[in-house]
Amino acid sequence: MGQSEGGFDIANPIIQIRGLRKLYGPHVALDGVDLDIGTGGVGILGPNGSGKSTLFKCILGLIRITEGGGEVLGKDISTMGPDIRSKIGYMAEYDSLDPGLTAVDQVRYAGELLGMRPDQATQRAHEVLQYVGLQDQRYRKIESFSTGMRQATKLACAIVHDPQILFCDEPTNGLDASARQFMLDTLRRTISEGGGTVIMTSHVMEDIQGVCDRVVMLSAGKVVVEGRIDELARQITREIEISVWGGATKLEQWLLLHGHKVRRMGRIMRIEHQGDQTIRAILEGASETGAQVRVLREFEPDLEDIFLLIMRKLGKSAKSASDLKGVPGE
Amino acid sequence: MSDTIEEGGLGEADIEAAYGSGDGDLDTSATVASTPKGQIFEQIYRPWNGSLGPRWVRNYAIYRHHVYGIISGSGHRRYHPFVRLALLVVILGSMTPILMLLLSSMVSGDATGFLNRMWGVNRYNLWGNVLGYFPRNLCMWPLLTALVVGGLVSDDRKNGTSALYFSRPISRLDYASMKWLSAASVLATVILLTYMMYYSAAIVFKGEGWSFIADTIPIFIGGLVAGIFLVFTYTSIGIALSSISTSRFTASVSFLGLILGSKIVAWLVEIQFETTYIYLLSPYDCLAHLGQWLVGLPSNYDHPLIMSVVSLLAMNAASLSIFASRVSSLEVTRE
Repeated sequence: MGQSEGGFDIANPIIQIRGLRKLYGPHVALDGVDLDIGTGGVGILGPNGSGKSTLFKCILGLIRITEGGGEVLGKDISTMGPDIRSKIGYMAEYDSLDPGLTAVDQVRYAGELLGMRPDQATQRAHEVLQYVGLQDQRYRKIESFSTGMRQATKLACAIVHDPQILFCDEPTNGLDASARQFMLDTLRRTISEGGGTVIMTSHVMEDIQGVCDRVVMLSAGKVVVEGRIDELARQITREIEISVWGGATKLEQWLLLHGHKVRRMGRIMRIEHQGDQTIRAILEGASETGAQVRVLREFEPDLEDIFLLIMRKLGKSAKSASDLKGVPGE
Repeated sequence: MSDTIEEGGLGEADIEAAYGSGDGDLDTSATVASTPKGQIFEQIYRPWNGSLGPRWVRNYAIYRHHVYGIISGSGHRRYHPFVRLALLVVILGSMTPILMLLLSSMVSGDATGFLNRMWGVNRYNLWGNVLGYFPRNLCMWPLLTALVVGGLVSDDRKNGTSALYFSRPISRLDYASMKWLSAASVLATVILLTYMMYYSAAIVFKGEGWSFIADTIPIFIGGLVAGIFLVFTYTSIGIALSSISTSRFTASVSFLGLILGSKIVAWLVEIQFETTYIYLLSPYDCLAHLGQWLVGLPSNYDHPLIMSVVSLLAMNAASLSIFASRVSSLEVTRE
C-alpha cells in the first residue's frame, strides 16, 4: 500500500507522466511535464494557453505525443488510448448532450458507447441519475432541462461505468448557488465513496478548494506548482489582516514608515506577519493616527491568493482567478 | 434556577438563554423551535463491477442508436415525426409497382398486357425501379437521403455530442464507419429491399418458373449492383455535407440542391448546346449511365461510360475525404 497523504495516495500514482513534450508545429504546448497523480481530488489550474487542454488530450490518449510518455492506470498513453478511455469518465465543459433524448436514454447510450450491454446500461443509468439527483426528471427530454440538470446529466454520463478517474471540466459552469453546492458535494462524495480520483478544472478557486486536496498549476506548458493546497498556503508569507475605519491612509503610511510591508485593498490591509511586534505596531500605529481597527486577524490565504501570488512571481498579469476562464480548451 | 434545560422546556432558563437576563455566569443553552428537514433522497454512490464489451459491441451501439430511432419513438436517436412519416410515404411509394403487379395478375384481357408493360419485369422497369428519374430520383431517393443523413454528423457538431464518442474508447474510424453504415443501411433497406421485393413479387404473383428466373436474374443483379452504387454515392455525398455543417437543414437542402441542381443545369446545357458532357457533374446521371450499362439498356448519353465511372469514383473519393477530414477535426475538449 502506498503512503496516504490526507486521503491522497501519492506513493501509488495512477497517472505518471515523465518528460512529456507536445509540439504543434513550432508551438510548444507542453514542455517536459513530469506529473504524479494519486487517488483523491486534483485541481488543474493555469491561464489560457498554459497547456491544460493538451495535457488532458495526452492523458486521454487522444493525440500523438512528441517526446516523453506516461502511464494512466498502468496503461501507456501513447499506445493504449482506448483502454485508458474505457476506465475514465469525462465531463465536458460545454453542452455535450442530445437535446432530443430523455436523461435516462442519454445516460444509457453513454454506457453503451463504453461497451455496456443495453440492460446493464439501462439499470446503471437509473442508478447514476438517482445519484446526481435527477431521479424524478430522468424521463424528461434534455431540451427541457435547466443548466444545473444538464450538468448533472453530464456527470451521470461520465460516471455510468464507475470510472477510476473522473475528469471534470468546469463542472459548476452556469450553476446557481444551490446547484453548485450540490455538484461540489456530489464530486466530494464521488471521491470519498467511489474511492477514485477526480481531476477538475475551474476558474472558481473556491470550487477547486472545496473538492480537491491538491493542485497542479501549469504555465507556458510547464508544471510550475504541484502539491497539497494547505501546504502551498503555508508557504505563503503569513499576514495580519485588519479592517480600518477612518484614517486608513494615515495608518498605512505610518506602517510603511516603520518598515512594515503592507498590501491595501480599500479599508482592508494585510501586513506581513513578523512576530508579536507586528500586532503591537499595528495597535500603536492606530493609536497614533487615530484610525479605528475594527477587525484584526491572522490572514489565511485561499487558493486564489496562491494562484495570484504564483502568477505574480512568474511575471504573469493575472488580476484574478477569472483569468483562468476558458480552461482547458484554450 | 436550573442550570440545564430539559428538552422542549420553556422555563426560566430559556428566557435566560434568549435574553441574557441573568448575570451571565449560568451555563445554559436554549432549545430553538425547528422544523424537521425532510430528506429528499439518499445520495449513495453505487459501484459497478460489470465488464465492458469489446469494440464491436460499442460499434453496434452506435449503429443501433441511429437505425432504431427511425422505427422506435423513444430510446434512440430522435427523428422528427414528420421525417418518419415522409420515410413511410417513400417506402410505400417505392412499393407501388408491387401493387400493380398484384393487380395485373388478378385481371385478364387487354389490360393485362398494358399493366405488364408498365409494371412487369423487364430491363426498363428493373432499371427504373432504382434509377428512374421520376418519381424515384426526383422526389423519393434524394428526399430519403436528405432526411436520413442530414443531421447525422451536423447534430454532433451542433450539440457537442462528439465529446460523448471520443472521450470513450471509440476511434474516429469506428465513429465515421458506423455513422456511414447506419445511413447506408436505411437507404439500402428502402431502395434495395423494395427492389428485391418487386422482383420476388413478379415471380410469385405471375407464377413464373425457372426459365423466367434464368432469363431475368442477370438483369436483376445488374439493377441491384446499380442500386448499391446509388446507395453508396448518395450516402457518401450526404454524410460529407452533414459533416461540414452544424445544421441538419443546411445539410439536407445542400444535398437536394446538389443532386437536383446539377441534373437541371446539365439538362439545360444539353438543350442549349446539344452535349451531354456536363452530365458528368451530376451524380444521378453518372449513376444512371452506369446503371444503363449494367442492366443492358441503350445509353442516353453521348460521352463514354468510362468518363461517368471516373466521375462517380471522383465524387465518392472527394465526399469520403471531406467526411474523414471533418470527423478528424471533431473535438473532445471543445468544438
